[in-house]
Amino acid sequence: MSDHVPARATDREPVGGGALPAVGLAAEFLAFLKNRPSFLAGYMIVIGMAILGLLAPFLPLHSPVDADASAYLLPPNLSHPMGTDSAGLDIFSRVLHAPRVDLAIALISTGWAALVGMALGSATGLWQGRRGLKGAGAVLMLRIADIVQAFPVFALALVLVAVLGQGVASIVIAIGLVNIPIYLRLMRSETLAIRQHGYVEAARIAGAGDTYVLVRHVLPNATAPLLAQMTINTGVAVLLAAGLSFLGAGVRAPTPEWGSMIAMGFQSIVTGQWWPSIFPGLALALTVFGLGRIGASIQAWSDPRERLRPARRAWKAFLAAEQGEALP
Amino acid sequence: MTVLRYLAMRLLFAVPQLFGIALLAFFLLKLIPGDPVPMMLGPLATQEAVDKMRAEMGLDRPVPAQFLAYLDRLLHGDLGRSWQTTNPVLVDLAERLPATLELVTLSLILAVAIGLPFGLFAGRKPDGMTARLADLFSTGAGALPDFWLALVLIFVFYSVLNVVPPPIGRLDFAVLPPPGITGSYVVDALLAGDWEAFRAAAGQLVLPVATLGLIYSVPILTMTRATVQRLNDSDFVRFANAKGLRPLRVTRHALRNALPSVVTVIGVLYGTLVGSVVLVEVVFAWGGVGQYAVSAVLNADINASLGFILAAAVISLGVHIVVDLVTLLLDPRLRTE
Repeated sequence: MSDHVPARATDREPVGGGALPAVGLAAEFLAFLKNRPSFLAGYMIVIGMAILGLLAPFLPLHSPVDADASAYLLPPNLSHPMGTDSAGLDIFSRVLHAPRVDLAIALISTGWAALVGMALGSATGLWQGRRGLKGAGAVLMLRIADIVQAFPVFALALVLVAVLGQGVASIVIAIGLVNIPIYLRLMRSETLAIRQHGYVEAARIAGAGDTYVLVRHVLPNATAPLLAQMTINTGVAVLLAAGLSFLGAGVRAPTPEWGSMIAMGFQSIVTGQWWPSIFPGLALALTVFGLGRIGASIQAWSDPRERLRPARRAWKAFLAAEQGEALP
Repeated sequence: MTVLRYLAMRLLFAVPQLFGIALLAFFLLKLIPGDPVPMMLGPLATQEAVDKMRAEMGLDRPVPAQFLAYLDRLLHGDLGRSWQTTNPVLVDLAERLPATLELVTLSLILAVAIGLPFGLFAGRKPDGMTARLADLFSTGAGALPDFWLALVLIFVFYSVLNVVPPPIGRLDFAVLPPPGITGSYVVDALLAGDWEAFRAAAGQLVLPVATLGLIYSVPILTMTRATVQRLNDSDFVRFANAKGLRPLRVTRHALRNALPSVVTVIGVLYGTLVGSVVLVEVVFAWGGVGQYAVSAVLNADINASLGFILAAAVISLGVHIVVDLVTLLLDPRLRTE
């Protein structure tokens, strides 16, 4: 058992045919990304959106919240690159300000849901099947997760926002709460799988307690699937927040937010003014797309077969190099 | 016989789950600030009238007692009245559910028609052109907010090209709805031989079904593709290839084995969709249960909200049971266990 040491990522041959030196995990990850432009695009989109959102207040833009009544539903022009909406607000400025709200809601709600879900899930996984209070607690936790997941997600989020009152904090709490069961289940199944391994048994025999097993064995092994789930969930959270705002149950009106902007343009689109809804929707879709690509990259990275499978271009270069070596 | 026993077990387990849902939903909804009574009676109501109404509705009793009373009525098939529509919730739901179910069913049929073949061919060659296209399609379509895609389609096909009717619900006001048999306008119109109503209802369905079908084909595609890819490495596919079967034959073998997991995804999607087509319903003024639930929650209409949540839960439980039975039929290996 002890002679099988799981190979660390850095011990492995570098990706892409041997041309790259192995200078650590980060370098290997970058090389992995370099061969997969669609993953790289995901990181660029999300980081770009975050930077735009952070810089938006310092850029020479129209005000995102002060309406200019004379600029009513103007099509895109030089002064307003994305036109204006039915309140006379500059859409370009609002689209750039929106990630401040949308990304913040998505990141914070996913973050706290993942933390709570991980804690509950690992406890459930470790305690399941034990006698006494801990075993009963694990069963109870699972049943509650069952019930919460049987709710229609959107209705549950809507009810929670209604209970907590409209506002950004309520949305963060509501989206987090509906997501906790997902992490609970994921972490539980990871824990159940990991706790069966010989090395965990060995640690137990050596006297390790729950905390040690959790920190030393479960968490390191569960990181990749958790991270992948979190990025995908962040995308879903952006969509959910936008959906709530679209219904008027989310972020309040003048605050720049993609979902409520799409809702504002809803009436105009039937009469042919497409710009108030189309641009914020594009930004929203682009962000969710980017987050999806990041999630896919983490999934691919954590699957050794997928990680070591050279991407098409790298593979061709590798074949060419092989042939070049073989010929002379 | 085992199937019947299995069915009985599933139904038995459904009871505590439904109870849990009702319990959690009831107490959550009770937390929503806002007293419906003054809203029902209007701003001019006297305090006495408000108190009398509260006593009549049982709102003056403690919340646990109210919950027990609700359960009692529920067991007698009474979901209470919605104060917004003043109708019994059961009547409201029965009126709106067919609209939602028609939309969800047709959308999922489209989603399967796109996702299943696409996933099959993408899974056959993981590095091929179809696989890359599938990759692009699933991350692209999977990222679209459904309510936004709906607006884009309305803009292109109604505002610009004008080839579909305006988004004003299930039927043009000028057209009489067909006699209600199944509740689905297209099916009822076909049964009645009413071509005008059929054309009108089908026209209204095109855009919402296209929206949902495109977006929800992604999970079906992903699942089919992953399953087929996994099957490619299995002994029976390797054997089939080794003995020289044509690729299409091999795909057929693989499809048979991939079906159970695909059916499961479809079932999960159906359950989720009934509860979450809200946004698309709002965009198309569809008048389904989703729209009903949104206005119920936002106006502290507790009976209506609870009715919706329970109906959605029952439908999704029912679909899950049907899916399990279908999987049993499709996979003989499961039957022996």
